[in-house]
Amino acid sequence: MIELFDVTKRFGEEAAVDAISLRVDSGELCALVGTSGCGKSTTLRMINRLIEHSDGEIHIDGQPVRRFKEDTLRRRIGYVIQSTGLFPHWTVARNIGLVPRLLKWSPERIESRVEELMTLLGLPHEAFADKYPDQLSGGQAQRVGVARALAADPDILLMDEPFGALDPITREALQDELRELQARLHKTIVFVTHDMDEALRLADKLVVMDAGRIVQQGTPLELLREPATPFVESMLGGDDRGLKETSLVRVSERMQPPGQTLNAKARVHRDATLRQALAVMFREHADQLTVFDDEDRPVGELSLQRLVGVTRHE
Amino acid sequence: MNEHGVQWRANRALRHWRLPLAWLVLLTALTVGMAELESVFRWVEADSRQVIYDRADFVTLLGRHLLVVSVASLLATLIGVSAAIAVTRHAGQDFLPLVAQIASMGQTFPPVAVLALAVPVLGFGTLPIIVALLLYGLLPIVRNTLAGLQGIEPSILEAARGMGMSGGQVLRQVELPLAAPVILAGIRTSVTVSIATAALGATVGASNLGDPIISGIVNGNTAYILQGALMIGLLALTVDSTFERLTVRRISR
Repeated sequence: MIELFDVTKRFGEEAAVDAISLRVDSGELCALVGTSGCGKSTTLRMINRLIEHSDGEIHIDGQPVRRFKEDTLRRRIGYVIQSTGLFPHWTVARNIGLVPRLLKWSPERIESRVEELMTLLGLPHEAFADKYPDQLSGGQAQRVGVARALAADPDILLMDEPFGALDPITREALQDELRELQARLHKTIVFVTHDMDEALRLADKLVVMDAGRIVQQGTPLELLREPATPFVESMLGGDDRGLKETSLVRVSERMQPPGQTLNAKARVHRDATLRQALAVMFREHADQLTVFDDEDRPVGELSLQRLVGVTRHE
Repeated sequence: MNEHGVQWRANRALRHWRLPLAWLVLLTALTVGMAELESVFRWVEADSRQVIYDRADFVTLLGRHLLVVSVASLLATLIGVSAAIAVTRHAGQDFLPLVAQIASMGQTFPPVAVLALAVPVLGFGTLPIIVALLLYGLLPIVRNTLAGLQGIEPSILEAARGMGMSGGQVLRQVELPLAAPVILAGIRTSVTVSIATAALGATVGASNLGDPIISGIVNGNTAYILQGALMIGLLALTVDSTFERLTVRRISR
């Protein structure tokens, strides 16, 4: 658990972060979203003390971060940055084993941990262990970056625009992987991004920042339904935010039991989002879809009215 | 490893080092066998009674030359690298502009001038030449070490700190290895220039490979000049090509 109490960071006279309070529960992924210069990265770096806060208190599991030695604190917190920061003169395996080595694990334990992590992140050990960072693609390098952050099995992960420099397809693939990883590992993650779609996809809790302050925080759905200010609304895409909302709800949550007549052509998987269902309706000129499951059996139906009505009134 | 592998490695090492080795063999041959070339030098300098420099043997001259250069270069490397490291740390930041400026300004200062200024203070002999070489040799080392350390991508250092490496660990495991090729290039320049410049020591009473040259100039004996120049040239080539191979070895892993 990470808690910020009235945390302020001043550079000279100017407050880059202005008295923000925030709580990230264990196992939660909290996304800090805002335009550049809003203080989101500064906030992140104050948690592992790469930047010292000027006022207020930051607690990790109830302990003020200043009570720890800086290096001890950082070895307990995974850190992933946009440009990966991999050491170019070290192999992939050595890069991943960095923190365990700092913690003086035995060489055998480090080796097996590195292998385990490479498997977890889809980097075959034989193919990648002895490569150097400049031999990797952007997506592979960022996987190594994530593996390095996870190496000593920290409870907390800080990620500073980790997928910001990747092409859209790789970015989406890594977002999916992170979501799967998080479903298994239940880390406490603070994730900085300026990409609202990324934040909506990944976050349990969304924090919108502007000019060093928190403008609004809540679950993605809460923010989409009731943006507190015009700024939050525009961050969420203005009138488009209805569509973004449909990306967050699954068909299975809105479908009805199957009726008598089923449309064979207009069909959608039960795990698809309402947005995908809308797209199918639009494409097939249908206002009613058949919902099927993994075994390709019809398990329900979804009408346009129900799709639209339910998302509006619940 | 089997015998074949050992053989293969030895071959590869030999191939890697063959250029510096060739210069070294030539240098050694000339050092011990200068007298054998008497007929060649006689042809160059037909009028003189003596054509092979013999006030001191070449082994001694080479030894002294190497000693002066080694002491000066070792000190210059130690001081230069430490100074550059110190001013790139948080605590020494204030001195960075000063040191960087001196380092680039000093390059324009001719070594003869340093020598001329050192003699009145330190007297004649080996000491002023060591001081002159040290001062002049410091500059490329400081400049390159600064460039090497400052050229490291900031995100690498941020990651290193963010992972929980201490300042010393970042320096030893990340900064110095990454800056090594640039630092080594600075040391190479410094040592090579020192080998040539050390010959000036002969003018202030330090005996080394500059002796035959100065003596040749004074007595109008071209053979002496040639002998000194050949020795210094070969020594510089040997050392320079050794550094060149070292740098290549570090970059290609």
